[in-house]
Amino acid sequence: MSTTRTPKVSERVAPKPADPQAPKKRTADDDGPDLRTLMHAWLESHRASLADSLRRLGKQPIGSFFTCMVMAVALSMPMGLSLLLKNVEQLGGSWQRAAQISLYLKLDANSRDGEALRDEIKGMPGVAEAQYVSREQALQEFQQQSGLGEALRELPDNPLPGVVVVTPTEVDKPALEALRQRLSELPRVDVAQLDLVWVERLAAILKLGDRFVFGLAVMLISALLLVIGNTIRLHIENRRIEIEVIKLVGGTDAYVRRPFLYMGALYGLGAGLLAWAILAFGLSWLNEAVVGLSGLYGSDFALGGVPPSDGLSLLIGAVLLGYIGAWIAVARHLNELAPR
Amino acid sequence: MIRFEQVAKRYPNGHVGLHELSFRARRGEFLFVTGHSGAGKSTLLRLLLAMERPTSGKLMLAGQDLGQISNSQIPFLRRQIGVVFQNHQLLFDRTVFNNIALPLQILGLSKPEIAKRVDSALERVSLSDKGELYPADLSTGQQQRVGIARAIVHQPALLLADEPTGNLDPRLAAEIMGVFEDINRLGTTVLIASHDLALIARMRHRMLTLQRGRLIGDGEAGQ
Repeated sequence: MSTTRTPKVSERVAPKPADPQAPKKRTADDDGPDLRTLMHAWLESHRASLADSLRRLGKQPIGSFFTCMVMAVALSMPMGLSLLLKNVEQLGGSWQRAAQISLYLKLDANSRDGEALRDEIKGMPGVAEAQYVSREQALQEFQQQSGLGEALRELPDNPLPGVVVVTPTEVDKPALEALRQRLSELPRVDVAQLDLVWVERLAAILKLGDRFVFGLAVMLISALLLVIGNTIRLHIENRRIEIEVIKLVGGTDAYVRRPFLYMGALYGLGAGLLAWAILAFGLSWLNEAVVGLSGLYGSDFALGGVPPSDGLSLLIGAVLLGYIGAWIAVARHLNELAPR
Repeated sequence: MIRFEQVAKRYPNGHVGLHELSFRARRGEFLFVTGHSGAGKSTLLRLLLAMERPTSGKLMLAGQDLGQISNSQIPFLRRQIGVVFQNHQLLFDRTVFNNIALPLQILGLSKPEIAKRVDSALERVSLSDKGELYPADLSTGQQQRVGIARAIVHQPALLLADEPTGNLDPRLAAEIMGVFEDINRLGTTVLIASHDLALIARMRHRMLTLQRGRLIGDGEAGQ
């Protein structure tokens, strides 16, 4: 056995005995660090991890940019399609007038009846506007539009009924059908006609679009998780020795994991910003053609940009995806990184 | 400080690393573990670092049973231990200062405190002017000193070294051993695995001799 005297804990300090600034020895015998110290250590560790991740990304600017770009393209595709669908839905809303319900009145209903009915309908729920077209106006319009003016003048009586054209507040098939049913039961209404085909077609297209966007989003998010996971795995491989050393000198799994999680989140942030820029630029570029096309149809329809709320959701989602992808990658590889 | 009681380590492939090894080491003791390659020296160190668990027997370190310790407790156990490797295990993309500071950063000490302790450790291994250099700029002996500085900077209760002089010439090896003795004089328990019997004999410390996983000698070196 050694004959070396065992010094007291207070004597066993790292600096040489002559060092007047010798710090107090930390041992298992001491009381643990206070909450303030622990909090400071935790914050300092996060600050250092963030700074380290930024430094490492900055060391490979081109590689980091391309990784972010790949993620940004994957993010912007479903987001862009979703924004386009939203615009199409708004376009559907602006075509609301096309979903008008035409109430053909009985032939014995005179103008006063028609106007009274119009006023009654205007006060009904679900009705945005009601307009009465008298039998005379209807005949006049038909003569002008059909080119059969002379032939119609030969008829002994006006065969056209008065019409109340009702514009609903919403373009929703069940609501429109319910409104049509209610209107058809009104006195003096002979036939209530609603052309729902285009509404149904548009709804079906939008539903298909929604499903397509959802499926695409699921696939691209999976791909994105793989991209970030693989990128982080390469970072882990490059730092294998460092991780082993950190574990040997007392680094916890959380300490090892932390810089990679920050790295994943930073990749996500970069990708989110790039995706936002891609979408803003892409929609603006597409809008010129859309405005030209809608102008040909006499519409002032234009694509909206990326709403700030959607842009922020995109950013937060991208950061979360980066974080989750990194977490999965580190969790998979951390156990393989036991010191050898 | 260290207590091995009938500790055995058998591997799944049938290899036996240690055969019911028993010994104790007091706090502040300096001891060598020696033996030929495959004698069990590295297994002993790996068990003390909780890199592996004993198959049977009881292994106590600083009051903790290493056979029962939870995985989440292992990092905190290792914070009481300093390790020096034959191949230094330095991080070549960090400066000497940052290599040595690593255990302190893990402990979450403040920057001024880290700077003070790293400077002190550098002074202890006579590398005060090398803090801003990178390991690649140093000689093998200096790199080993950096490894030692990193192992002692957090003032561990136990210092383990695995063939720390294996790559060094005799003069440097003696110098490094002198550093270990300095550290031991401050109360740190030092356990060195080495097969350099000539060097060990000159040091006159306790020496455990292993052969094929069995303890075949326990006494002062050189006797």
